[in-house]
Amino acid sequence: MRRGAPGRGLGGALAALATLAMAALPSAARAAEYSFDLAEVEAKPYEISGFVEGKAEHFQLRPDASLYPLNFPGQPPRQTLDRGTASIELAGKLKHDMLTGYARVSGSAAHDAYSTDSSARLLEGGLRISPAEGLSFDLGKQVQRWGKGYAWSPVAFFERPKDANDPQNSLEGFVMASADWVHSRAGPLAAVGFTPLLLPVSDDVNRDYGATGHANVGAKVYLLYEDTDIDLLWAAKGSRPQRIGFDFSRNFGTQIELHGEWARSIGATRRVLGADGAVVSEVQNLDSWLLGARYLTENEITWITELYRNGAGYDEAQLATFYRLLDQAFSMGGGAQAQALAQSLAQSGYGRVNPGQRYAYLRVSAKDPFDWLYFTPAITVIANLGDRSWQVTPELLYTGWRNVELRARAVLLQGDPLTEYGAKAVERRLELRLRLYF
Amino acid sequence: MQPIRRLLVLCVLFPAAALALDGKALLEKVDRNLEPENYEMTRKLINEEPDGKRKEFILYSVKKGRDKVAALFLQPASDKGRSTLRQGDNMWLYIPNVGKPVRITSLQSVTGGVFNNADILRVDYTEEYEVTAASEEGDSILLDLKAKTGNVAYDRLKMTVDKKLVLPTRIEAYAASGLLVKTLYFKDVKDFGGGIRRPATVETDSPLYKGYKSVMLYAAVKKREVPDEVFTLNFMSRLEELRK
Repeated sequence: MRRGAPGRGLGGALAALATLAMAALPSAARAAEYSFDLAEVEAKPYEISGFVEGKAEHFQLRPDASLYPLNFPGQPPRQTLDRGTASIELAGKLKHDMLTGYARVSGSAAHDAYSTDSSARLLEGGLRISPAEGLSFDLGKQVQRWGKGYAWSPVAFFERPKDANDPQNSLEGFVMASADWVHSRAGPLAAVGFTPLLLPVSDDVNRDYGATGHANVGAKVYLLYEDTDIDLLWAAKGSRPQRIGFDFSRNFGTQIELHGEWARSIGATRRVLGADGAVVSEVQNLDSWLLGARYLTENEITWITELYRNGAGYDEAQLATFYRLLDQAFSMGGGAQAQALAQSLAQSGYGRVNPGQRYAYLRVSAKDPFDWLYFTPAITVIANLGDRSWQVTPELLYTGWRNVELRARAVLLQGDPLTEYGAKAVERRLELRLRLYF
Repeated sequence: MQPIRRLLVLCVLFPAAALALDGKALLEKVDRNLEPENYEMTRKLINEEPDGKRKEFILYSVKKGRDKVAALFLQPASDKGRSTLRQGDNMWLYIPNVGKPVRITSLQSVTGGVFNNADILRVDYTEEYEVTAASEEGDSILLDLKAKTGNVAYDRLKMTVDKKLVLPTRIEAYAASGLLVKTLYFKDVKDFGGGIRRPATVETDSPLYKGYKSVMLYAAVKKREVPDEVFTLNFMSRLEELRK
């Protein structure tokens, strides 16, 4: 048959051409279908990127909650509050030889029934000198993210506390000078790194870090030993007490990661409100630790769980005492002195995002479940194990449009009135957030 | 001496028989033909849905030795600046906003789609697999590969190698349960210069993701040796400095 085909003359030739064309079509179509022009990603000496964000929030408030007067001082009580926020974050880099200048700035404007606010902050900004791949020096406002914890990091000695509700949010850095040296080698100790830093605190610089008049010195030693990341961390006594710590992280098989942190704050002062209303300043060593795991199932469900012991935190009875003081101070008969004491205690530790001693964290997220492509539903639970109060955050993330991220979440808090999550001013929060990256 | 001489004559007359006798050497040749031991490259990853909708990523990668790979996301803007690092069985992801590297596992996927982290940060096949069988079939050689440890993403691979080019044309990846996880198709062999001639397109599909397809398009594959320190956590935020 093959041999006879050419004998069919013009018709046969056309048929053969058509067959050839048909055979060639898929690859030609594919070539056109998948194009890749390297010019799209040509290296440039400068770079600008960032995002704009719009956020709408609906709060279900608890006007009778202990923390309400601290969160909304002097405001008439409300049952609900709606807030709209517009934000922008811009990051830029300029490179020349071994020098890199960098900056990250954010600005936001928010409006609700109580107030209209706007703010602008320099999150990071400075100059890096990189004489070699294994050595660099940084001077400027920097974010040092120490630790392996997802929701909390007790060894994060030189950073602002992260929000366990949104641990991936950008943080503002501190002005400091730092160096970073790393050496890679063969054998069980595959890498050694050293990061010393100097963080000055004065009336003009880093005032919110701690007591002024100190040049705070710290260092981190990093080891990759037998497939385990290990950090040894130290912060000298200065604006804050001396602290030491370590952390580790390791994969077990293709699905499990384990991590942990331990930190000791040496000779730290902790203000404790007694049941009799007296405030005692306790000086002691405070140990904090965290143990966590991340597990990816075969159907792509990620489980993140952490247990956290906050050495500087307060137990159930101590927190209840503080919330009682707030109730009394801001009730009809409360005096200015009691209110001032309550505010002072809130600033010294009771008012932290997580002021308790023992916490558990669980986050379960599923990638594209039930064939919902680009949808990532997740649920996060944070519980204070001391007073058994908790919050749960169901969430839905959609990333199906190029450079767009749409997130809807509800934050639901539950607890008795004199517990951490029962004393907060917000009982429920619904949030819709749209981010456009550029 | 006589049996060895006979074996050598057989090898010269029947090269496939020689390859079948030394599957490990063949796999090493496949590794080197796919990529030089030390290289830099730029790739586009495309995740395609059944309705034709696509999501694209562009990555710059460097590799050193048999088991060190780092990759930087150049596009899209939402992922720009992210970097991933692999040292043997260890993998990390750095997200600029988060500001610190976090460990990830080989079965996760930083890009979504059918490719997982082990595919995106692939190290030499000889680093992770042993050849358990090699056989000839027409113009191809079939290699059966078994993972050396339980830390490897796929327990077994069935690799079809083009006998003439000594390049893979198809790889079937199986889980320890025997389940076919995905099939990789190597296409469009192209000369990248500097003696590198390899498939410019790698497609994959999976019975677990029916109708979905992921594609890697290779461009600018070049030999380049960078210092070992590039493959450390400390350098992940500075990977961009390597690009010229």
